[in-house]
Amino acid sequence: MSIRIIRIHNELLGTYGDRGNADVLAFRAGLAGVKAHIVDVSYRDVLPDDGDIYLLGGAEDAAQVLSCEALRGFDFSARVVLAVCAGFQILGNSYYAGGMKQTGLGIIDMDTVPGASRFVGDIKIHSELLNVELTGFENHGGETNLNNGITPLGRVITGSGNGARGVDGAIVGNVFGTYLHGPVLARNPEFADLLLERATGRALSRVNDPLADQYAAWRRAVIK
Amino acid sequence: MRLTFALLVARLAGWASHSLLGKSGETISGRVLLILCPNAISKLAAGRKVILVSATNGKTSTTRALAGFMATAGSVTTSKSGSNLPRGVASALMTKSDYAVLEVDELHLPAVAKATKPQAILLLNLTRDQLHRMHEVKRVADRWKEMAESSNATFIADIDDPFVNYVISSAKKSVRVSFGGAAGRHPDGAVCPSCGEYLDWQGGLFKCGCGLNNHYSDKQFEADSAALRNEVLANVTAERFGVPWHEVDVASLERKVFKKFINADCSIRLTKNPASWREALAGVSGEKVILILNAREVDGIDTSWLWDVDFSSLRGKHVVVTGERGIDLAYRLHCEGVVAELVADFDAAAAKFAGPVEVLAAYTAFFELVG
Repeated sequence: MSIRIIRIHNELLGTYGDRGNADVLAFRAGLAGVKAHIVDVSYRDVLPDDGDIYLLGGAEDAAQVLSCEALRGFDFSARVVLAVCAGFQILGNSYYAGGMKQTGLGIIDMDTVPGASRFVGDIKIHSELLNVELTGFENHGGETNLNNGITPLGRVITGSGNGARGVDGAIVGNVFGTYLHGPVLARNPEFADLLLERATGRALSRVNDPLADQYAAWRRAVIK
Repeated sequence: MRLTFALLVARLAGWASHSLLGKSGETISGRVLLILCPNAISKLAAGRKVILVSATNGKTSTTRALAGFMATAGSVTTSKSGSNLPRGVASALMTKSDYAVLEVDELHLPAVAKATKPQAILLLNLTRDQLHRMHEVKRVADRWKEMAESSNATFIADIDDPFVNYVISSAKKSVRVSFGGAAGRHPDGAVCPSCGEYLDWQGGLFKCGCGLNNHYSDKQFEADSAALRNEVLANVTAERFGVPWHEVDVASLERKVFKKFINADCSIRLTKNPASWREALAGVSGEKVILILNAREVDGIDTSWLWDVDFSSLRGKHVVVTGERGIDLAYRLHCEGVVAELVADFDAAAAKFAGPVEVLAAYTAFFELVG
């Protein structure tokens, strides 16, 4: 069994160490006995459609628009996707960059508008799906409003998340969006394993990595 | 009159802090001075030749080197090491001199440039650093560009950095220095800062459709490390004032301190963001390494950039990790296949070694170790 992890436009969507999500997925897949290949797809490359997990990260405004336009037409909705920060925003109906409203990819029924102020700091949310707390760091100016029926990734305990209705992120099928960077999968091994299970379509053998658990537990304890 | 009084009180505060509390007293005097006389910087800068130095990395060591060069032309006042906020600038200017060579924090540069009306501004580089405070590299570049458009200073700039290149593109006077792209592709330079289009790089060279490029320069040099590039840029700046070219010991341009702890002979290097970690890791030549990571305000409170640094060169070495955020780094190394031991503090790390050890320390850890 082997999986292909597609790291999309890291030179554009790589502002906050989100490239690490691919590294963590590959590492934990290895511990679970699943072979993983990371495929780096740059802006000039064609996005392969044989990936098992697609990763989108955070970006500055101009990079976000370039990346979004290059991805237009690719159907993410039937795939396993993790989208963080700017990468999350472009999956919606609309978002703002460079002070202007932009058309998103329309994968998640949501709209992002400029927030009252920039949200910078540690964030902790509770995920109902995983029944764990997820931690990360957020640094964004967007306020994301989920439209009717869209499930958030979690309820905000500390921090801002979407900046609206006390929630963070979104889940649509196997598409997961969040404002947690850090990168999020390094700090939340359960989330990494969930994506691996969705990609392989089966339950994983339990991953034993005490350092990962210690790191996750410590972040959950120190972010009040 | 107000300035004279403010200076008197500021000196007294500095003296009290120094003699009674045993502190350096420099920051406190600058702080007091600015409270009593908010425009003290512009008043004190008037009538002398001011040179400002700013960058993400290398501003302290380059300022020190440049101050040394300028001393052959006249009396010089300069910033106390790393003291680059307005209060540090104010306290440096409290001493009379022909020249003032001042290191300035990136976000404070426009205000300090407005107040000091410098003859020259030396810009070395702009990369990701303390994003919780800077937010975006482009945001800092835009503020600098606004300053450059209205300033009468001559800008001496490393145009291989596309952000710095963009900043000085509409300056009235500039010296565009290139090293032929020897630094390689800028780690945050995928998008043209000027027009927002995708920037295609050939090695360290770029040329955008909008015109931004580093193919054409006023002066071209060869240099294969950041320290050497900064030495050249400092010399080009000093030349503007008729100062002859100086050769410097490159090691002095790397912020490195040697100190013995128990049996470990440590060479300690300051690291603070992806660019400085890459530079420091490239300089690791031995097999024994201590890495210290903190995440206080000046270190940057967000550690996510760790994943943008390639640590694979440490594989097979004896690596010990510590610091307040040592676990972030330990897990990062773990995923990269670098075997590292995580220990509680620096003493425990130093106790693991005898003989030469290379220490890469976060900003706050560096100053705690070297005092």
